[in-house]
Amino acid sequence: MMAAVGAPEVISQLESAAKVLMAPPSMVSTEQRQHAEHVFLSFRKSKSPFAICKHILETSRVDYVLFQAATAIMEAVVREWVLLEKASIESLRTFLLTYVLQRPNLQKYVREQILLAVAVIVKRGSLDKSIDCKSIFHEVRQLISSGNPTVQTLACSILTALLSEFSSSSKTSNIGLSMEFHGNCKRLFQEDDLRQIFVLTMEVLQEFSRRENLSAQMSSVFQRYLALANQVLMLLLALIPAALGRHYIAMFESTQNVTLKPTESWREALLDTRVMDLFFTVHRKIREDSDMAQDSLQCLAQLASLHGPIFPDESAQVSYLAHLVEGLLNMINGIEIEDSEAVGISNIISNLITTFPRRNLTALPSDLFSSFINCLTHLTCSFGCSAALEEVLDKDDMVYMEAYDKLLESWLTLVQDEEHFPRGCFVQPAVQVFNSYIQCHLAAPDGTRNLTANGVVSHDEDEINELQEDDRELFSDQLASIGMLGRIAADHCIPLLTSLLEDRVTRLHGQLQRHQQHLLAESGPESLDRKVLDDLYEDIHWLILVTGYLLADDPQGETPLIPSEVMEYSIKNSSEVDINTTLQILGSPGEKASSIPGCNRTDSVIRLLSAVLRTSEVESRATRASLTGLLSPQMGKDIMWFLRRWAKTYLLVDDKLYSQISIPLSTAFGADTEGAQWIVGYLLEKVINNLSVWSSEPDLANDTVELLVTLVERRERANLVVQCESWWNLAKQFASRSPPLHLLSSSVQRSLMKALVMGGFAHMDTDTKQQYWSEVLQPLQQRFLNVINQENFQQICQEEEVKREIVATLEALCGIAEATQIDNVAALFSFLVDFLSNCIGLMEVYRNTPETVNLIIEVFVEVAHKQICYLGESKSMKLYEACLTLLQVYSKNNLGRKRVDVTAEEDQYQDLLLIMELLTNLLSKEFIDFSDTDEVFRGQDQGPGAGHSVSAADVVLYGVNIVLPLMSQDLLKFPSLCNQYYKLITFICEIFPEKIPQLPEDLFKSLMYSLELGMTSMSSEVSQLCLEALTPLAEQCAKTQETDTPLFIATRHFLKLVFDMLVLQKHNMEMTVAAGEALYTLVCLHQAEYSELVESLLSNQRDAVIYQRLADAFNKLSASSTPPTMDRKQKVAFLKSLEEFVANVGGLLCVK
Amino acid sequence: MGSRLAGTTQAACKNKADMADADLDFRTGDAGASATFPTQCSALRKNGFVVLKGRPCKIVEMSTSKTGKHGHAKVHMVGIDIFTGKKYEDICPSTHNMDVPNIKRMDYQLIGIQDRYLSLLQDSGDVREDLKMPDGDLGREIESKFEAAEEILITVLSAMNEEAAVAIKAMAK
Repeated sequence: MMAAVGAPEVISQLESAAKVLMAPPSMVSTEQRQHAEHVFLSFRKSKSPFAICKHILETSRVDYVLFQAATAIMEAVVREWVLLEKASIESLRTFLLTYVLQRPNLQKYVREQILLAVAVIVKRGSLDKSIDCKSIFHEVRQLISSGNPTVQTLACSILTALLSEFSSSSKTSNIGLSMEFHGNCKRLFQEDDLRQIFVLTMEVLQEFSRRENLSAQMSSVFQRYLALANQVLMLLLALIPAALGRHYIAMFESTQNVTLKPTESWREALLDTRVMDLFFTVHRKIREDSDMAQDSLQCLAQLASLHGPIFPDESAQVSYLAHLVEGLLNMINGIEIEDSEAVGISNIISNLITTFPRRNLTALPSDLFSSFINCLTHLTCSFGCSAALEEVLDKDDMVYMEAYDKLLESWLTLVQDEEHFPRGCFVQPAVQVFNSYIQCHLAAPDGTRNLTANGVVSHDEDEINELQEDDRELFSDQLASIGMLGRIAADHCIPLLTSLLEDRVTRLHGQLQRHQQHLLAESGPESLDRKVLDDLYEDIHWLILVTGYLLADDPQGETPLIPSEVMEYSIKNSSEVDINTTLQILGSPGEKASSIPGCNRTDSVIRLLSAVLRTSEVESRATRASLTGLLSPQMGKDIMWFLRRWAKTYLLVDDKLYSQISIPLSTAFGADTEGAQWIVGYLLEKVINNLSVWSSEPDLANDTVELLVTLVERRERANLVVQCESWWNLAKQFASRSPPLHLLSSSVQRSLMKALVMGGFAHMDTDTKQQYWSEVLQPLQQRFLNVINQENFQQICQEEEVKREIVATLEALCGIAEATQIDNVAALFSFLVDFLSNCIGLMEVYRNTPETVNLIIEVFVEVAHKQICYLGESKSMKLYEACLTLLQVYSKNNLGRKRVDVTAEEDQYQDLLLIMELLTNLLSKEFIDFSDTDEVFRGQDQGPGAGHSVSAADVVLYGVNIVLPLMSQDLLKFPSLCNQYYKLITFICEIFPEKIPQLPEDLFKSLMYSLELGMTSMSSEVSQLCLEALTPLAEQCAKTQETDTPLFIATRHFLKLVFDMLVLQKHNMEMTVAAGEALYTLVCLHQAEYSELVESLLSNQRDAVIYQRLADAFNKLSASSTPPTMDRKQKVAFLKSLEEFVANVGGLLCVK
Repeated sequence: MGSRLAGTTQAACKNKADMADADLDFRTGDAGASATFPTQCSALRKNGFVVLKGRPCKIVEMSTSKTGKHGHAKVHMVGIDIFTGKKYEDICPSTHNMDVPNIKRMDYQLIGIQDRYLSLLQDSGDVREDLKMPDGDLGREIESKFEAAEEILITVLSAMNEEAAVAIKAMAK
């Protein structure tokens, strides 16, 4: 159509369109822009545009038009491939290459696009035996040998374009060919061409590494080849069999992937020591250029993670490793490492340690191995110091921190397999790394914290917001490694920590005393320097964190054990330990440890704990001396965090859990020991003191109350707690709602309530127990009843005192619900259920008070969340009833209500979220049910809900009736609300499919619309939920066998959606199962429609081969279950062949 | 009919008001209660209320920060004026006390509209007529509902000697 005749017109049309597109937005209208885009789109679609494109390339001077011409050629070649003469394709390719060669000054993006067109031609040709595309490598080799940097750069660009076009589907161009085509190309490419590129690249690098002086231009060519080598190695390693990709596309590819076969040629290319040596040489040559150094180190890091069948046997692997380690040591030793090398070097080491099995490392010659360990130790310490400096200088790019993290991680990997290595070989390195860590974190003179070349830098005035993580989390990986190394070298590290901490505590005590005297003497306005205090606090902060990580782990959910190294250390020294002195040190935190006679013969582990207790004691005394304002809340948090971690592991140590136990530890902290009782009492006093002194510090109060919960959540510990008088005082004080406890934030008050309730289930005799509950729970009930039973409650309900009383009660109820455990649920439910009906009354009274309404719903949410899974049938019924009534009242009060106050929308959002949470919690009963009526509610339950008519379905559907009309697409943009909503409707469809057809028309429609929306345009998680909802709905239809119901019609629509999703779209692998199940049931229901879908898909296929393959695949799929029926066996068969179907033809239809 | 009745009461009131302003005081019902009470910052809660720059506000954002790692907590609050919707911010040490306004929400039955003032029936049987018709949508809706003789309840929000109608609801039949 666009013959060369009209060429000048075409060109000028394209050039003016390009001008429009390149113009600033303000200069052209949207219509002009759209028109210009249209011009290019239709140009690219024109038939056989080759002549005109060549003409454009040769004559036009507008870069963008050149770019579009290259794109047009690329698309047209693929489109018209079968119609084109092979010779003309050849000549087109030659034309493009020559074109680029002759124009060294082309814009980069134009050149890359032309080379991409070349790469695409090569790729399309590679599947076409009639064309020899291998010649490209021959041409590239010629270009390289030209010695001309510009030409060599071009050669590199060609190789890079080939590599990225062939290597991965995410980089593959959209040329309208099936994923299967792309996959096949990739396979062929990897079998041979990749190695060609690798060899070519190595030749160039070899050549360059020999040259003495590289011009700037040469070194930029060098750099490009180095980057290419890195890309090739990266691709290579990806070929080594590893974990399967998670996504469908990845799976599809992996089925066709050749894993790196250990062919002789690859072995030769990779295991040849000269290859590795070359990279070391290259790095040495260019290490001062930070960009290039990154590439060369990355290449080495790739080589350090070589594994798998490429190694013919173990000795080959060991000698490869030995060579690598030697090369590495040679490279590092005797140089001053540049900033830009740190991360690269640590990557090499970390890859090496994680990739090669332990037995390879131990098989290294022993002096090589110890040189390696020494080098690693030295690097770790030096990177650690540099990382600390980076922090002081507040650098944006923390390269040393990253490198240090990597090396510490490697240490953790190494020492976790300690038994494979020569005994004690890590002790000295551990001492060094540990010492250097401590040194970097302590202030001068012991340490080097905040020390730069220009003296001490201080960051004390930085504003720190609550979103910034605490150091114990921020540096948890580092601290875990340091803690582990500290255990390896316990002999050195535990006494070191003890003496440092004891020293700091003594100094802190002295400094606080000086402040106090200063205050008492009122000696003028100039106050003592806070800097000394802050330095001490920071020292103590780090010492406590390291101590915590050294002495104990914090495994989630299981009982933490005393680390074996710590246990062994304590046992080893126990013969020289005087138990009484040890206990004396432990029991007198108010005294200086060194002042106690015989203090050198104490158990070091206990003494280290005692040092923390001494810190805590200094803090407590300062608060009593009204010096709270001088203290550090951060240190307070550290102490609480440590004591909690310690208590979980050491308090009431159970000798049954250990093969051997240290006598000092079991004597001091074992069950039925005075030591344990003493320390529980001490911790309790501390907690109580903190809660009254630190109510204004939310984080510290929270850590404190968490320690309290830890003390009572285990029955054995709680038994000791309830024997303390202070515990009872705490309970009374809290129940009376008097200061200072009521100053605590609401979340802390909830946790406090939780702890007090949990403590009530400790072992006590009947009278004591009764007395306890009369101190803790009864006042709550009494106060509440007193308020709401007043005759004029309706009139006074808005008075501030009344409202505060109500809010406090509701908060406490949430706390009580949180305390639920399987063995107390019976008692707690009975207590709470009375409140629930009163709460419904409150809902009525406070209907115009949104914050109270919200809190009332929250109480129900908490009770349902914590208790429903334990409740037997009649108890559940009671809860269902209460919830139903609550929702009815809510609905009545909000129907026909119009609010205009500023927070109306936010309030409604919060109510909705809570209601959905409540409904989901109620439904969860269907999945998680621990109830055992006989056990939990002995004698309380009278048969299965006689006389009750409320079911979970009623409550939930009623709730959905309230929620659905309020759910708008805008509200669904809140991720939390969206997920909760879809979780809920999926649950409903799964559990009560029979209720769905009975829904009112509007409700039904919006439910179906929600499902479609969720399936097609939400996150994959939501999409999967919706697919899961379809199966039960289709089954429901099949059961009733009515073919004209709205649900039946809706499922027909869903059949098409799911069919398209599975067959035509890329999707998540995890979704295939859910989608497959849905498809099967939908197919059963709508067999005729399914056949139509298949027919219409087939009829769209022009290619006879593809048609046949598709038709066969569909036949095979159908044959797996003929005729499809809702039968489990058939369904499984269908799903299995679906998997095969997707792998076979999914890629055929999925076009990129 | 409602409006005529309300009209006469309104007139009577006006006369009374001319005679003695003090008489009006009892209508607010909390002459003795203070408008605010102090609370330690840490005990404030999101969704709760606080006085910022002299205005009663609902707390919509609350966060803490500290100066230096070993510093003491400060509370940063963002509140919305419950009457004007204007945003206010404040930051203070968490040990400080802040004023919390006493907030009341009362529902009254609407029995008349006179000169853009609402006549509201109190539980005690008295009628108050000192509340202005709200502006905007709510005001228009009140008017149209009233003209259609629909029985509606009006929620009146009051704090720190200021009040406003903030919500309406059809009365249950």
